[in-house]
Amino acid sequence: MTTDKKLTGGGLLFNVLEQHGVEHVFGYPGGAIMPIYDALYDSEVEHFLCRHEQGAAFSAVGYARASGKVGVCLATSGPGATNLITGLADALADSIPVVAITGQVATAAMGSDAFQEIDIFGLSLACTKHSFQVTNIDDLASVLHQAFAIALEGRQGPVLVDIPKDIQLAEVNGRLDELVNLKNKVKLPPANVGSAIALLSQAKQPVLYVGGGVGMANAVDELRDFAKITGTPSVSTLKGLGAIDPKDKNYLGMLGMHGTKAANLAVQECDLLIAVGARFDDRVTGKLNEFAPNAKIIHFDIDTAEINKRRKADSSILGDLKVNLPALAIPLSIEVWQEKCQQMNTEFAWDYNHPGESIFAPAVLKEISDNMPKNTCVTTDVGQHQMWTAQHMAFDDPSNFLTSGGMGTMGFGVPAAVGAQVSRPTDCIIAVSGDGSFMMNVQELSTIKRFQLPVKIVLIDNAKLGMVRQWQDLFFNGRLSETDLADNPDFVMLANAFDIKAKMITNKSQVTAAIEEMLEHDGPYLLQVKIDAQDNVWPLVPPNTANDKMMEST
Amino acid sequence: MNYYQLKIKADDKQVVLERILQVTRYRGFLINGIKAKVNTGTNIGTIELMVRSERPIELLVDQINKLIDIKEVRVDNSTSQQNNAGLT
Repeated sequence: MTTDKKLTGGGLLFNVLEQHGVEHVFGYPGGAIMPIYDALYDSEVEHFLCRHEQGAAFSAVGYARASGKVGVCLATSGPGATNLITGLADALADSIPVVAITGQVATAAMGSDAFQEIDIFGLSLACTKHSFQVTNIDDLASVLHQAFAIALEGRQGPVLVDIPKDIQLAEVNGRLDELVNLKNKVKLPPANVGSAIALLSQAKQPVLYVGGGVGMANAVDELRDFAKITGTPSVSTLKGLGAIDPKDKNYLGMLGMHGTKAANLAVQECDLLIAVGARFDDRVTGKLNEFAPNAKIIHFDIDTAEINKRRKADSSILGDLKVNLPALAIPLSIEVWQEKCQQMNTEFAWDYNHPGESIFAPAVLKEISDNMPKNTCVTTDVGQHQMWTAQHMAFDDPSNFLTSGGMGTMGFGVPAAVGAQVSRPTDCIIAVSGDGSFMMNVQELSTIKRFQLPVKIVLIDNAKLGMVRQWQDLFFNGRLSETDLADNPDFVMLANAFDIKAKMITNKSQVTAAIEEMLEHDGPYLLQVKIDAQDNVWPLVPPNTANDKMMEST
Repeated sequence: MNYYQLKIKADDKQVVLERILQVTRYRGFLINGIKAKVNTGTNIGTIELMVRSERPIELLVDQINKLIDIKEVRVDNSTSQQNNAGLT
């Protein structure tokens, strides 16, 4: 790989990618990135042609989340680059390490409103952790090394590298730089565990509030040890699902707007809330000044800026969760509280009884969860199906549940499943989607076909933008505005057009056999599940309301 | 309304000033004034930023500190004023 032979900038790019262990990239060619695609021709890096740059970005996100590696996507200048932006924003909101490479018009043409020229460097400022524009071929390798280091260091995130066409074509010595080890720029003070241990020791009703940072820090084992040693009842954010063993008797499920009643009541009653890699997001807290009103706060995080951002911490533990969680794992005497939480778990357990013959989505998802192979990775789109998946499917690791949490991006599920399947070719990958979201990146069925990826798609179909329809019914006096999708295409025929086997079910008597057929099918499969358009996601904490005032039905 | 003056040291890298201004706006701070210069010997830029907001300044300091090219952010207490008239 390292050579004194002259390379083009494009050739050097792929050598550096290989140096960083990149085996797969997702992208779409175009004019200003042609020298890079020419160099790809000679590279051992495998390229997955997506059918839209947004699909490439989400595939890179799904790849990163399912594998723990950096996801890489490529796009040309102008519209190619702008089409990446939603994926980059998604990666920023959920702290996902992605490196995006964009072609740019030649440096001499930059700033002249050239064909397919856009200031993607400027546009990237609000949707990346950092970005670069390479204007000197001698900087290219160094910039790429920095991009990988920045994507992975501290709180992870997306980095964009914009490379003008003349830089891609320029000749450069092929000798590679040593890999840089970019240390955390912000020096974190040594964790002061004394105050946190004092708070823990005094707590009678503590709750562990688990966020996506646990999985990102690769600290699932340390978290589970902490939960086991302390015996603290736990709740999870959407992105934290899978960090706590779902079978843990002290685990209460997801908290927040569509959280379980047990989780939300426990948090509202607790006297100590231990936030681990979580950021007090508005979908978690409900009305902020009534969130966990009696609780002291211990906040573990890698990002200094999250401490005291939305809720003041009584004790903050900055740094690596793998180091800091064990330092606070002390046995607690909280048996009465544990028993109360376990009782709430029993009292408020999900009810899967659903009158009539129509299919109840929560029951379908529970049945898939109970029957899917070990280490199945589930992706979702955004909406009702996403919340039902979070509520009713069980995940034993955060890398097995990929959902657009912070950004809430419809269209995420199918391309993220493509990326997940590429990174884990032998694992079962299931994309749970809704009929609204599915159509947002439906072109990625072609990527599934092209690479014969055995992705299973469960399409929860109510012929509505269901979550918006639910809110219009509940909070806008039933004035249903632009949420009817009765003119959806024939989804079975659509899947078949991409050589994907598909089936539609409409009656609950069909569910078990259909799930079995889908899971046993070797190749890609789409299962369209027709549900009642009036089914709602419960519980629901209305906007700007305390979490213990959730609605449980209309 | 609170008024603050920040003194920021940053590597003289691409668009560092744009990054600072973008973060400042997005995090809810309005800019009253700005002075910037670069030491060409060290390639370190010094930026004095006068801002106003209802929000505590620590929120902005933490976010600017996260930017990759930033070396130091200080609040100049001698010129910052809370709930007072604006800087002139």
